[in-house]
Amino acid sequence: MIPIEMFLGLSAVLFAVGAYGVLTKKNGLVVLMCIEMMLNAANINFIAFAAFFNDVAGQIFVIMAIAVAAAEVAVGIAILLNLYKTSGTTDLEEINVLRW
Amino acid sequence: MNFVEFAWLIPLIPLAAFLFIGFFGDRTPEGGGYVAVGAAALAFILSALVGYEILSGTHGDYYYDSIPWLTISNGVVLNFGLYLDNLAVLMMMFASFISMLIFIYSIGYMHDQGDRKKRYYTKVSLFLTAMLGLVMASNFLQLFIFWEIVGLCSYLLIGFWGFRHPKGDKASLAAASAAKKAFLVTRMGDVALLAGLFVLLNAFSSLDFVTLFDPANIALVDKSTLALGSLLIFGGVIGKSAQFPLHDWLPDAMEGPTTVSALIHAATMVKAGVYLTARSFPIFVQSTDVMLFIAIIGGVTAFYAATMALNNMNIKRVLAYSTLSQLGFMILALGAGGYLIAMGVADGTPITGSKAFGYTAGVFHMMNHAFFKALLFLGAGSVIHAVGTEDMRQMGGLRKRMSVTSITMLIGTLSIAGIPVFAGFWSKDFVLEAVMVVAEGSGVAAAIFLLLYILALATAFMTAFYMFRLWYMTFGGEEGEASKHCHGESEKVMTYPLIVLSVFAALSGFLILFGFNQALTFNWAGPGSDFVIGGGGYGMMDVLEKIFTSPFAYLAIVVAVAGFYAAYRMYNFKDVDPGRFNKDGESAMYQLLQKRYFFPQFYDAIALKLTYPVALAVEQVDRKAVDGTVDGIANSLTGGSQMLRRIQNGFVQTYAAYVLGGLLLLFVAIYMIGYIGGL
Amino acid sequence: MTDYLLSMILFTPLVGAVIALFMAGDKLKYARWVALVFSAIPLGLSLLLVATFDNNILGYQFLEQYTWIETSLLHMQYMLGVDGLSLIMVLLTTILVFLVVLFSWEEKERPNFFFALILGMQTGLLGVFMAIDYFMFFIFWEVALIPMYFLINLWGGPRRHYAAIKFFIYTHVASLVMLIGIFALAFQAASIEGWSQLSFAFTDISGVAFSSGFQVLVFGLLFFGFAVKMPVVPFHTWLPDAHVEAPTAGSVLLAGVMLKMGSYGIIRICLDVLPEGAVAWQIPMIIIALVAIVYGALACIAQRDLKKMVAFSSISHMGMVLLGIATLSDIGIAAGAFQMFAHGLITAVLFMVCGIVGHNVGTRQIPLLGGLAEKMPNYAAFMMFGFMASLGLPGLVGFVAEFNILAAFYNWGLAEGVAWVIVIGLASLLLTAGYYLWAMQRSIFGPVTDKVDVSKVHDVSVYEGVSLAVLCGLIALFGIFPALAWDFVFPVASGLAAVLGVI
Repeated sequence: MIPIEMFLGLSAVLFAVGAYGVLTKKNGLVVLMCIEMMLNAANINFIAFAAFFNDVAGQIFVIMAIAVAAAEVAVGIAILLNLYKTSGTTDLEEINVLRW
Repeated sequence: MNFVEFAWLIPLIPLAAFLFIGFFGDRTPEGGGYVAVGAAALAFILSALVGYEILSGTHGDYYYDSIPWLTISNGVVLNFGLYLDNLAVLMMMFASFISMLIFIYSIGYMHDQGDRKKRYYTKVSLFLTAMLGLVMASNFLQLFIFWEIVGLCSYLLIGFWGFRHPKGDKASLAAASAAKKAFLVTRMGDVALLAGLFVLLNAFSSLDFVTLFDPANIALVDKSTLALGSLLIFGGVIGKSAQFPLHDWLPDAMEGPTTVSALIHAATMVKAGVYLTARSFPIFVQSTDVMLFIAIIGGVTAFYAATMALNNMNIKRVLAYSTLSQLGFMILALGAGGYLIAMGVADGTPITGSKAFGYTAGVFHMMNHAFFKALLFLGAGSVIHAVGTEDMRQMGGLRKRMSVTSITMLIGTLSIAGIPVFAGFWSKDFVLEAVMVVAEGSGVAAAIFLLLYILALATAFMTAFYMFRLWYMTFGGEEGEASKHCHGESEKVMTYPLIVLSVFAALSGFLILFGFNQALTFNWAGPGSDFVIGGGGYGMMDVLEKIFTSPFAYLAIVVAVAGFYAAYRMYNFKDVDPGRFNKDGESAMYQLLQKRYFFPQFYDAIALKLTYPVALAVEQVDRKAVDGTVDGIANSLTGGSQMLRRIQNGFVQTYAAYVLGGLLLLFVAIYMIGYIGGL
Repeated sequence: MTDYLLSMILFTPLVGAVIALFMAGDKLKYARWVALVFSAIPLGLSLLLVATFDNNILGYQFLEQYTWIETSLLHMQYMLGVDGLSLIMVLLTTILVFLVVLFSWEEKERPNFFFALILGMQTGLLGVFMAIDYFMFFIFWEVALIPMYFLINLWGGPRRHYAAIKFFIYTHVASLVMLIGIFALAFQAASIEGWSQLSFAFTDISGVAFSSGFQVLVFGLLFFGFAVKMPVVPFHTWLPDAHVEAPTAGSVLLAGVMLKMGSYGIIRICLDVLPEGAVAWQIPMIIIALVAIVYGALACIAQRDLKKMVAFSSISHMGMVLLGIATLSDIGIAAGAFQMFAHGLITAVLFMVCGIVGHNVGTRQIPLLGGLAEKMPNYAAFMMFGFMASLGLPGLVGFVAEFNILAAFYNWGLAEGVAWVIVIGLASLLLTAGYYLWAMQRSIFGPVTDKVDVSKVHDVSVYEGVSLAVLCGLIALFGIFPALAWDFVFPVASGLAAVLGVI
């Protein structure tokens, strides 16, 4: 059996990569993908602990999170699409109409 | 059937006329004039019927009836009701009678005023309502309510030409200003009266006359409290009856129509003050000092106002000053008579006979004055109506063109001047007599009253002088500039009231010989003994004997005739030039009188140089300091946030970085705390 | 039927507000009819309330009590009830809202939204006077605030944004201080009585014996909250700005009803729950009241804008209310409450008059006006009536209030050995007469002004005239028969004074 630390390590790496992407990338689409990556890092944690503790609740949460994430991505991409249509760019630094 | 049970209808009749004219007046002939006359006539008839019952003693000393109006605290009830005694019915009768005559006269005088007539008759009807309500009131609060409505009506009527004045914009500005002045100056007195009400309400837990005048209740109250209350109430009198130093609104009030002046001076408004003094006698006589104060105010006003009438060229203003002076006489008489009674109250010995006569003298003079002053004002109105000016220098020689007016005015003049057998003679003589009685005593007060007597005598001289001056300048001599445009005698609707009034002005003095002095008396059971206030117990022969055996009575006649003679020489015979005495109008005294002793300037200075700058300063403080602080706090907050919001640069990624950094810091902190704690 | 009377009065306007909001597009012209109907219903119901109110019972009547939020910590209730004091305030509110709707009949700009706000505000105002639970009281207090903000901000004059935000923030800050006071009361009551849940009901808290130090402190917090609303000097500066910019309907409700929420709160909460605090704060309250009276009156004299003058006169007259309350005597408190009622009626006339002159002539600057009596005779008559009522002319409602307030103040002064202070109160009467008469002299008398074009000026319209006439009639009615309102408030005042008297 693969020790739990392995899963946690994978999850931590995945999360760090995602967070790095969210903070530095300028393209909105990439940022969205990075957010998904962070979400999946959390999912891995859930699964790992569910298996470790033999508790099915963790798996339920993951399914839940995947469903919510799907909805969220749909909204997120829709917003991005609209942004692209109106401003012609997905560069987050360019989109500043609500800035003070 | 007792008519007194319908007495409550009396003020309601003119009130109904007020409402009717106010809503439908313009659909009736003369803008509701006939309605107003009818209401006043009805009120007079009912007053006369009620008056007969009261004066004949059917209901004892007084008739009282009231309903609770407002229970302001447990056991403290303010009532609304009637208190009818001799004084009240006397006031009711002559107020409604003279108002009726003035309203009739107005139909001619105001005929050419177009749609303004409705407004006029509405206001005068309310005026009569308020005056009747005032004299019939059963308590001080009710009296005060009507007192203020009287003030409101005078404000409305003095400012009647406050816009669209027939003589142009300047006159309408003056009228508006005069109205404001009348209201404000009398309100100064009213505020004092209000304070007096608080004092009495606090002391008696009631404001009903029957409670307040009950000797048993008076005995329970501290004397100094009563004196304070009395003085404050008299403050109201000073304002309303235009006594020194709140007198200055009355000359300005001449800006209203002449009929309004007649109404204010003869039937309503200024008489309310004298009435209040007479009404409050049982409380006033608890202190000799109060009565002395009242007498001094009256005497000073009488003399002081008469001086200003000496050289005035405006026919209405001369009459206004004469009213001030005559009101001073009334107050003086009440003060002098009350002083003796107050002395009697203090040592428990009733004062009787001639010594108690001051009250009778004051009230009697008030009644006579109502007749001759209404006559004089209406006569002056008739002249002004005919010649179109108020300046006596442009009049003269009107005797031939306006015979009825000139003869009735002459009767009024003889009456006010105090020439024997005319009404004014009797009452003025009583006034002087009442003062002399006190002056015959000893002590400082007697000396003061002697001085007041001399002032009063000098006033009598001046009165005769300026009234005959007025008559000669208007009706005697050659025709003046304006007289030439005179289109003859006024119409009958105006002259008939003059004739009726002149009959009263000539003859009403004789009433005193037929037991009328009994009517001007009331019983007041003082501590230990009964006081009869007024000339009770005096018959016809007593009065005649009193007057015609006293050397002072002859002195008064001599003085009046001297005044007449001086005016005759100066303004009719013209062998004495009035300019000799005043350097042709250049002397300081002459200027002082023309400027009304600088009282208008004094009032203006209080308003414009004191109150207004203070108000402007308050406004500045409000905007700069108080509101400035508020805005300052707001601005410092917004300024601070202007700086802080720079952190919020609009990039979500920056925020996310903050969040992540913050989280990391938090974890580190928790770990550190745990580490240190664990150590 | 009468079981749900209060709720019906309270929520009918809210229903009306929602319906009015939907009267958009071509149904716009029906918005005013909706408003009229839905302000007439509460008026009718509140008259029924007055008719069925039993004045012999002390305490709250028409009680409605339901549990609202029940947790282990909180016990919040939906509690409504009225006593004599709330009764006349409810009546005043329903009368004024109805007349305001009538007065604004010809509102052209987004009438649906306008009338919805007025009706919504009515629910807030009524709720304040009906709630007998602190939490509900506070919620309605805030609910009343929001429509007023929009009324000023959307229908106001040139500086409306500034005035609206100032009004909102200023009074909101005060409300928060008041909220702290309310929480302090609730927590302290629970800890003294050993309740496991926090209760906010008036009836629960008013019986609790708070320590005197606590009372003095919390009285200060609550008093600040109410004093800003009244407002008293020096927390008054939001008022002139708000009034000058607000539309007429907003001004009428602001001065006519909203200011009374402050003084109502002082009587209802401060005096009732914190009697020892009230006694300790008596002298400061009297000083503040006297300052407000004289300061307001002096500021009036200096004003050039008619409406601003009337706004400052409100400060002066609300100072009178506070003066009456601060005497802590039965006459004083009753007279203060009566003055709230009187001032509500009178000030409505005054602000309507100011609104008409601004609308018809185009300016409210007194120096630019003149001779309006000739151009607008009916208008001049209403203006004079309102001014005379406000300066305390006997026979009209204001006099009864002022007479009793000053009488109570004199009694207090005499008992404290400072009877002369009555002079300050009396001087304010003179100043009041002064600024009103001077304003009339300059605006309606004299020659017709040539500084503004008055050739097309018309007199008051029918709707304006009717609402003004009704108000004037009420002012005269309650002036001639003051017992109609006085007898409702006196038992409340007497009950409070009896408690305050023994301390």
